[in-house]
Amino acid sequence: MKCAPFDYVRASSVEETVKVLGEAAGEGKILAGGQSLVPVLALRMARPAVLVDVNRVPGLSTIRRLDDIVEVGATVRHSRLVEQPEHPLLAEAARWIGHTAIRSRGTTGGSIAHADPSAELPVVAVATGASVTVAGPHGSRDVDAEELFVSALMTSLDEDEMITAVRFARPARWGFAEFARRHGDFALVTAVVTEVRGRPRITFGGVASVPQRATTAEQALADGKPATEVARIAAEEIEPTADLHGSVEFRRGIAAEMTRRALVQFDSEQEHSR
Amino acid sequence: MSEDTVMAEDSVGVDDTAAGAGSLGRNVRRKEDQRLITGHGRFVTDVELPRMRHVAFLRSPYGHARITGADTAAARDAGFRVFTGADFAHIELRAQSALPSYVETAQPVLAHQKVRFAGEAVAAVVAADRYRAEDGLELVEIDYEPLAPTVCAWEAPSEPVHVEAPDNVLLERTFDAGDVDDVLASAAVVVERELTTNRHAGNPMECRAGVAVWDAADGKLTFWNGTQVPHIARNMIAELMGLPEGRVRVIAPDVGGGFGVKSVLYPEDLALCLMAREMPGIPLKWVEDRAEHLLAATHARDHRYLMKAGFDAEGTLLAVDADVTCNVGAYSVYPWTAGIEPLMAGGLLSGPYKLENYRCTVRGVATNTAPSGPYRGVARPASVFAMETMFDAAAAQLGIDAIEIRRRNVITPADIPYKMPSRLVDDSGHYRECLDKALEALDYDGVRAEQRRRRESGESPIGIGVAIYNELTGLGRAASAGPRMPFRTGHDACTVRVNPDGRVTVLSGVTSQGQGLETTVAQIVADAVGVRYDDVDVRIGDTDESLWGFGAFSSRQAVIGGGAAHNTAVEVRKKIITLAAGLMEAAEADLRIEDGDVYVVGEPKPYITVAEVARVAYLESNRLPDGIDPGLDATTFYDPIRGAFAAGVQVAAVEIDRATGELRILSYVCVEDAGRAMHPQIVDGQIAGAIAQGLGGALYEHLVYDDAGNLSTGTLLDYLMPTSAEVPDMVIGHVSRPASNPLGVRGVGEGGTLGPNAVLAGALRDALGIDVDELPVSPDRVWKELQG
Repeated sequence: MKCAPFDYVRASSVEETVKVLGEAAGEGKILAGGQSLVPVLALRMARPAVLVDVNRVPGLSTIRRLDDIVEVGATVRHSRLVEQPEHPLLAEAARWIGHTAIRSRGTTGGSIAHADPSAELPVVAVATGASVTVAGPHGSRDVDAEELFVSALMTSLDEDEMITAVRFARPARWGFAEFARRHGDFALVTAVVTEVRGRPRITFGGVASVPQRATTAEQALADGKPATEVARIAAEEIEPTADLHGSVEFRRGIAAEMTRRALVQFDSEQEHSR
Repeated sequence: MSEDTVMAEDSVGVDDTAAGAGSLGRNVRRKEDQRLITGHGRFVTDVELPRMRHVAFLRSPYGHARITGADTAAARDAGFRVFTGADFAHIELRAQSALPSYVETAQPVLAHQKVRFAGEAVAAVVAADRYRAEDGLELVEIDYEPLAPTVCAWEAPSEPVHVEAPDNVLLERTFDAGDVDDVLASAAVVVERELTTNRHAGNPMECRAGVAVWDAADGKLTFWNGTQVPHIARNMIAELMGLPEGRVRVIAPDVGGGFGVKSVLYPEDLALCLMAREMPGIPLKWVEDRAEHLLAATHARDHRYLMKAGFDAEGTLLAVDADVTCNVGAYSVYPWTAGIEPLMAGGLLSGPYKLENYRCTVRGVATNTAPSGPYRGVARPASVFAMETMFDAAAAQLGIDAIEIRRRNVITPADIPYKMPSRLVDDSGHYRECLDKALEALDYDGVRAEQRRRRESGESPIGIGVAIYNELTGLGRAASAGPRMPFRTGHDACTVRVNPDGRVTVLSGVTSQGQGLETTVAQIVADAVGVRYDDVDVRIGDTDESLWGFGAFSSRQAVIGGGAAHNTAVEVRKKIITLAAGLMEAAEADLRIEDGDVYVVGEPKPYITVAEVARVAYLESNRLPDGIDPGLDATTFYDPIRGAFAAGVQVAAVEIDRATGELRILSYVCVEDAGRAMHPQIVDGQIAGAIAQGLGGALYEHLVYDDAGNLSTGTLLDYLMPTSAEVPDMVIGHVSRPASNPLGVRGVGEGGTLGPNAVLAGALRDALGIDVDELPVSPDRVWKELQG
């Protein structure tokens, strides 16, 4: 469990990062908190030729409230998300990420770019209709979170692009529930219920290769169907897969229960004061 | 867990005033804590030597395959030193047992001809550091011809793992007492179940590790090894390498947990020593990583129990008929053999219960999985689960309370000594007392009332589970651990030296993997000699220093190593008294030693100090009384001949979330008879840690192989271990009934692991009426049961 050889570049700007990634021609990887990347390197499951360290790139570690949006810089650590008051859903979700040591190092940009379908931040990104700011050789572009996640651990980012910030909408109401085998584990199922731009969203983590919305259930919720009914529809709508920790049926059952719990919290939430 | 709940009611915090009354029985500050707590521990990985190189092992990607070729040219061309199986083909590990059915097989140092489990070492690369060594591994080509693997021990074997055992059975033995068939035929109730337990492992915080260096000038091998058994390791390495024992030095420095995993001599250990001999003067270091550890260190508890038990109408256990299959993995572990788990299961299945009619066939079956070895509690977490399930099932069928049926069947003090049907002799019998105390601590009546209330209100159900067990500890030569191996593990030695300054150095044969043996041995010696605890230094783990000790296993060290320390210290005290009496012209019988001072009975002030006596013994032979030789030390061996059983009871109240299948432990109680507790905080720590490991096995830990023989749980992402967030607060209580050994102690290292499987399975049955036939108790399994 020691990584294969690689070159290391400590980038001092976004432009430099993008340039080095471009020169690496697909063999480059960004190192931020390293909480997902380093274990994969140690197992030699990834063997990038060059690591670009963005930890010292200025301007990437701020949290800004912009009206109904909270913009989180790419190298903001999870522990800061837990502490910030601007986006309570984000704070709640971040509390469920790993353990203290992981939250102290892991970054928002890293978690979104890693695109683990069981991780908390990708689910919240989709649940809030987040927009991801991406820098490339020709400048900056914004990508909807739902467009970003392509498959498990795969995004639509080009190999010479990097995430610089994520803009999470502040939901008018929200509910969050997660089921994991142990404290700090990746979720078997995360259910997030949000009201974004006047519409309810129901988003799951852990049940598909990307964070997945249950749109039929969302409609049922908008139509005022009772929580148990909405939860049942949501669980039927998803296509989870079995693994060591649970069968398909079990995951559906848990998805229904987590939806129900998130809905309880959602219903009890008052509109946030603006 | 919070500190106040884990402590026994009669325990207190650290007691620094260990003067006067002696130190035994008090929570003196642990000798190890200064270095371990401040990050100054000295583990194998901390050993740094000039010219040191690092080793990485190439491991088989196949569960079962023939090796058809090995090409190391590319690695050698790149400057790496490479070893393959062919280099050490003349040496093999053959664990031996005199049991008639035992099939002796061989384990290679590095696999050649054939690999028998995924993760088996096939080659080793030496490099300047571990990173480069792993780069070198990628240049070594091993050609394989895959063979059909066998993963499950109770399914038909595909291709024999070893040619010597065509059916893969390495050992089979039947325990037989009384008349099982007739008694079962006439029993009021016969309960029958098939139970399987989950493969899991000790997983110490520090994985395996070694540094080996060959001194060509002296022809001497030094091996720093994270082992529980340095003297056995020296003995075995010397024999296997054809070296005089005096020229092999094994040093176990600080060791970060063992749990049985490190009581085995592994092929990697031997490979490291053999490679070192090929590279004189170059220390070779291998520190195992977690992925290797999960793959290739010993596993355990992959068992199936076919159980049948007959009871009369009052719930008296009449007969047990059992068939136990243990998956022993690819090799018979050295030196404990494939018998370690099956024989323990058969020998202790009836546990603390009176039973006359007993038939139990146990077998160890080889498969293409990592070898099974000793793991804290050896087999009994599984066998206790099997036996307790019989009582729960019978109680339900007979309409008797699950606690009451056990109370009726346990061995009582009046039955002591009780010869179990496996002919082991229980010397404890304090099960009812432990049970009563445990139920009181649980608030049994209160929990039952709450259970009824919830049943009526429809709130989350709760259940109570119970396990009663006897932990076999401190085995002497008459009851020695293991399946008739060519050695008996009943004794340890200890040397106690009073130095010329009057302070004491102890060279003890015990080893420590965190259990605080330096502290315990110092307490024993301080009290027996009559000096202050702070004036005793204990040196352990180095075979060039201590004479002999078998090491840490079978909960033996407090009893045996402790007994040796006590007896030796008593010898030294006698020598001090004799010398002092000569110097003072007093009668020996009139002298006593306390806190390093020698008093004449009736005199309030000390007459002479131990330091003055020691000075005479070493430096002023002109003052030595006639007939007394210089020096002030002793070395003795101790063997308790028999063992000491430790009674134990665990009970818990558990809440189940019907929607998710999650189980929440509301309260967990353990009451054990540890005999006399020498350091109550260490005793409680042992029990709490063992319960935590038991809970891990019951709820989370599961090593899963796929049908192709690949380990599916290869990292701690999938192999789930409990963290502090998963381990509940516990109440630990004691029934202190001294055992018949010099210190009155009983072992406590393993007992805690014995209960949780049975407790949680029983609690689920009590809460929901569902049977738990398969472990671990995971939410998906419970959820599935709840769906009907």
